[in-house]
Amino acid sequence: MILASLVEGKEMLETVIASVIGGIGVTFAFSVAIWGVGRFGDLSRNERPLAAGGAIAVAGIALACVGAALLFGIVVMTSK
Amino acid sequence: MSSDVILVIVVCTALAFDFTNGFHDTANVVATSISTGAARPQVAIGFAALLNFVGAFISISVAATVANDVVNADVITPTIVFAGLIGAITWNLITWWSGLPSSSSHALIGGVVGSAVAAVGFDAVLAEGLVGKVLVPAVVAPVLAFVVAGLSIGIVYRVVGKQRPGIVSRGFKHGQIVSGGLLALAHGTNDAQKTMGIITLALIANGSLGAGADPPFWVIASSAAAIALGTYSGGWRIIKTTGTRIIKMDAAQGFSAQGAGATVILASTHFGFPLSTTHVINGGVMGAGAAKRISAVRWGVAGNIVTAWLLTLPAAAAIGALVYGFTRIFGTGPLGPLLVTLMSLSLIALLFARRAQRGAPVPASGA
Repeated sequence: MILASLVEGKEMLETVIASVIGGIGVTFAFSVAIWGVGRFGDLSRNERPLAAGGAIAVAGIALACVGAALLFGIVVMTSK
Repeated sequence: MSSDVILVIVVCTALAFDFTNGFHDTANVVATSISTGAARPQVAIGFAALLNFVGAFISISVAATVANDVVNADVITPTIVFAGLIGAITWNLITWWSGLPSSSSHALIGGVVGSAVAAVGFDAVLAEGLVGKVLVPAVVAPVLAFVVAGLSIGIVYRVVGKQRPGIVSRGFKHGQIVSGGLLALAHGTNDAQKTMGIITLALIANGSLGAGADPPFWVIASSAAAIALGTYSGGWRIIKTTGTRIIKMDAAQGFSAQGAGATVILASTHFGFPLSTTHVINGGVMGAGAAKRISAVRWGVAGNIVTAWLLTLPAAAAIGALVYGFTRIFGTGPLGPLLVTLMSLSLIALLFARRAQRGAPVPASGA
């Protein structure tokens, strides 16, 4: 009970949540971007331009998400 | 006048500590990028030094914690801060000499707490800040980095597992330029702020700043420059480093480890938690390794990190207390700190000379 009152519970919890969402989310989005680029290459070689276009669009959106997450993180850090 | 002399000694000692912090930590920050081939050493080190410098300017939350939440600034004197710094530097030298991967950050806080207790008693310690902002995050953060890196690499292998290895490797090597940069930024912001906090505490103790004041710009800029210079200098002496010492990594693991380390350090910094960046980075590296293959991780190195973690706070505190006791033999003036500074510089010169004579490599320590 005494220990619990000493620990910055809310801030610690927010740190855990931000780390999990930020760390896993950015890695997931970046993996999707790489997947999209890889699929774009495969589908282009198989002459499926529409599907290849879809794959590269997914890659672009995923990369934009990574960029937005980084920008958001830096804005949050510098705004306090 | 005499307290101003002590203040100048404290500021110089703190900046020297900051320089050695960067010097020791270069390995941890750039090793992952270099070991996976994502960046050439010269580029990685220059980039890390630059982002260390920039990182020091993006937040002052950790500096505020060190200056106001660990010890009671009302009862602290510049001599207490000086003794704490010498306690931290001495412990860093002992662990550097014996190859123990200790935390400079824990040593710094341990040293200041020890000298404050020796000078004033346990009333000088703010238990709420010490436990809630230092001790608990010190345990949680490396474990969190381990878990985040482990989960991240699991997701990566699921998403890109069926892709051609060449494109995956190239993609993550490009990604590591960003994740490595983010890690260097995170390292700069958390570690440089500890020095800012210590100098601010000394300025408050000297009456140069009011209680609860933020670090002045010259303190932020000089701390940023000292850690960046240390990082740049330390890069040329990397012998054995985090990336290859704990586990042999591929680019995806490197990206996950760096991403996990950077997010944990940045999130913690935002809330003012002064962390051991070394322990967090190592936690991320081990998590990325263990998720792929438990036996790939060199658990002996992990055990050494835990041992160092357990020893650092009490050992630095004990040395800080002893140094404070020694300085008081010569009264409350600058003579004690001056003598300790001269003795410390002589000891450091002797240690470096003996290392150079033996031709032994410089082991990596950490913050």
